[in-house]
Amino acid sequence: MESYIPKLLIAIPALPLAAAAIVAVLGKRILREQSHWPVALALAGSCLASVVLIFAVQQAQKDHRHEHVVRLWTWAVVQGAGSGEQGAESGERGGSTPYSVLSTTNSGLSSPAFRMDIVLRADSLTAIMLGMVTFVSTLVVIYANGYMHGDPGYWRFFAYVALFVFSMTMLVSVSNFVLLYVFWEAVGLCSYLLIGFWFEKPAAAAAGLKAFLVNRIGDFGFALGVFLLWTTFGTLDFHDSKVETIPATPGHVATTIVRVDPQEIEDPNVPGTVEPGIFGGHHVPVVGRLTKDHPFGEGAVVTAICLLLFVGACGKSAQFPLHVWLPDAMEGPTPVSALIHAATMVTAGIYLVARCTPLYAASPDAQAVVSTIGGFTALLAALIALTQTDLKRILAYSTVSQLGYMFLALGTGSQLGVTAGMFHLFTHAFFKALLFLGAGSVMHAMGGVIDIRQFGGLRRKLPITHWTFLFGCLALSGIFPFAGFWSKDAILAAVAEKAGEAQSGWIYEYLYYAGTITAFLTAFYTFRAYFLTFQGDERIPKEAGHHAHESPAAMTGPLVILAIGALGVGAYFQWMGDFLKPDGFLMQTPVLKALQIQAEPAGYHVPVVATYPWSPHLTVALISTAVALAGIAVAWLFYVARPDLAESATKPAKLLGLYALSHGKFFIDEIYAALIVRPLEALAALLALVDRYVIDGTVNACGAFPRALGAMLRPLQGGLVQFYALVMALGVLALVGALLW
Amino acid sequence: MPPELAALHSFLAIGAVLFGVGLIGFLSRRNMIVMFLSVEMMLQGVSLSLVAWGRYHNDLGGQMLVVFIIAVAACEAAIALALVLMLFERKNHLDIAMWQELRESNQPLFEEEPLPPQSDEEPAHWPHLTPAGVLPESVAEKESFRRKV
Repeated sequence: MESYIPKLLIAIPALPLAAAAIVAVLGKRILREQSHWPVALALAGSCLASVVLIFAVQQAQKDHRHEHVVRLWTWAVVQGAGSGEQGAESGERGGSTPYSVLSTTNSGLSSPAFRMDIVLRADSLTAIMLGMVTFVSTLVVIYANGYMHGDPGYWRFFAYVALFVFSMTMLVSVSNFVLLYVFWEAVGLCSYLLIGFWFEKPAAAAAGLKAFLVNRIGDFGFALGVFLLWTTFGTLDFHDSKVETIPATPGHVATTIVRVDPQEIEDPNVPGTVEPGIFGGHHVPVVGRLTKDHPFGEGAVVTAICLLLFVGACGKSAQFPLHVWLPDAMEGPTPVSALIHAATMVTAGIYLVARCTPLYAASPDAQAVVSTIGGFTALLAALIALTQTDLKRILAYSTVSQLGYMFLALGTGSQLGVTAGMFHLFTHAFFKALLFLGAGSVMHAMGGVIDIRQFGGLRRKLPITHWTFLFGCLALSGIFPFAGFWSKDAILAAVAEKAGEAQSGWIYEYLYYAGTITAFLTAFYTFRAYFLTFQGDERIPKEAGHHAHESPAAMTGPLVILAIGALGVGAYFQWMGDFLKPDGFLMQTPVLKALQIQAEPAGYHVPVVATYPWSPHLTVALISTAVALAGIAVAWLFYVARPDLAESATKPAKLLGLYALSHGKFFIDEIYAALIVRPLEALAALLALVDRYVIDGTVNACGAFPRALGAMLRPLQGGLVQFYALVMALGVLALVGALLW
Repeated sequence: MPPELAALHSFLAIGAVLFGVGLIGFLSRRNMIVMFLSVEMMLQGVSLSLVAWGRYHNDLGGQMLVVFIIAVAACEAAIALALVLMLFERKNHLDIAMWQELRESNQPLFEEEPLPPQSDEEPAHWPHLTPAGVLPESVAEKESFRRKV
């Protein structure tokens, strides 16, 4: 079964790419209203391949083969990019300090060249991401078949979606930072195209531009991080490794040899193998070994790399201060919001941080930053979501908030934290896609109206949408036994555990409180949207017309499937142990294996596999459930039982301006406009003047000089033949004179 | 000075004089035919010196070149005279100063000062040289012809 892995890895992105090409070429003239067929079939094929891949990877793990690298071809080789002197130098220094070996360049390569391969990988993390992406995208495409029906850009939509799925599957399966960056940009491009899908609408065009530009800031940080990775480690491959013999001093061996499999270590005192690759082999890479006990681990370089990569992750995953694009991205079609801006693309940042776990493990400071930004964003977005009236925007801020939760979990850096973050990513994909698709179904029925004040009591008109949306809301609020309960509980448990640690525990303690408050706010705003939409008296806006009925089966089918997922995936994976157990499927990822070594005593070579309480943390679970139920109760009180109470209860908040603050999204857009956009515009105006008068002036002066010269010489051309002849004769005389002189 | 060299000097001097006279004629005369004749004279000056050098070096190359020059000059004469004829047809005048259109567009037209008006009256005295011999017999036909030149 393992031998199928390369084929599967290639097939998963290749199918959507082929579908995108077919629809792009044939869609406008030939396929037209049938454009969804190639895409749906290709994505279903990819989804099937992903499921098979998961089983194949799992099978291979029984033989201790944790990663599979498929090298397709070499894209580019730059000779001498990584200087050979550097390698030699570090080899010399290897004798003096045990850490210099970490700066060895060109791992696994004989010549000092910057070499970029088109190379794919399969491990647990990739397999899970692939499965999630292809599954959700298949459902979304089926849904879009109903939702986008009759749109003039029908074929264009499906071509973009297929291109997006290609980019996203490549993003999670490449094994190289350069390719990761390429597909990072590619998903950004698809996001831009799809946000601005209805480009004749100015708001949509502006939202697409905003998303693109804000992401550019993040991508800049990402690019710098990649450069720094290259200069520091000399390789950008995830799988790169280099075997090198080093002197057998005890200190060396202790700090460099690390292997996951205890059987593989024979004698710790013999010269061992060094793996300076970033995430090498199924041996734990050296970077993964670096903990706060080791000098290099505290190095500013690793912290800088981590923070720069995190800037990129912030842009893509819409974390403060780069979160402003995601709510505006709701201008795109709703299936796109569900697929790209809730379930898949925005989790690319989470994936990046999870993929770089060994790096982050080497820098507790960067971890604290990741957690703090995540926790702060979670709270901020939840506060904003409280007062929004646009159903899709509420969900968008909820997405930002949940992504914040994931970063909060990843930033704890513990096994439980990283697995909880990935677990939440996985469950969130189900219930957030469900909620968005449900919102799309409501929007479809209401004739495009999305303001929750305009409609109400839709539970009878839209029974299926109502029930599935309720499931999504319960999952998002974290109510037992829905998916969100398990993952959110795991996150809060990880943070609570980290809060108990001596070093920088106080940060995590506050973050735990923030997370718990966010859980309350999440339940409140989710059920506020739910009650206003589905409960109370039936109110239907006049725009709805005759549309106010349940959506077609193509739309309700995916809703039902996702609702089952929102109910079941959490409990299933919690108890099947695929996520949270130390020996679970996800933990077989090489980069996450590195975390297990953290518990190893300093200076000792045998890894100690850490244990941690993977079962639900009872206290945390009780608190978060109580808080979520309280949120739902308050929402019920305010929006169903006693609407008058809501008025009186929010009056002080309104007086204090808190309501306006939340409704105005904390005026972050306005602050950016005042602090960044306006000064830049002023600078641009100034530079335009400089361009017009200084630069153009210089160029025009260069043009004016020959003109002036010409004007001076023009009288010579007087039209008198004999004058010409005279000048010629004098010229010959002068020439002859000069020759004779 | 050997006689060959002396002969060469004489030839070259005559050639130079021919060339110089032709050049001055070309620069100073405005009648196109006269200018053309001056150019021919310059050519002959050069040809003469070529022949002289050829003779001096006992090398027939000079003579040969001159034969070519004569042939080319004949062609050139045909073309030049045709051109002059065409130009004359256009303006009914042989003055080269009539053709100033090829000057720069913003340059002033060269205009010669107008001649003082000429009266048809006979001058009181014709200028005359002091006769150093016998005054030629005046013929009425010739007198009238001369006046027009």
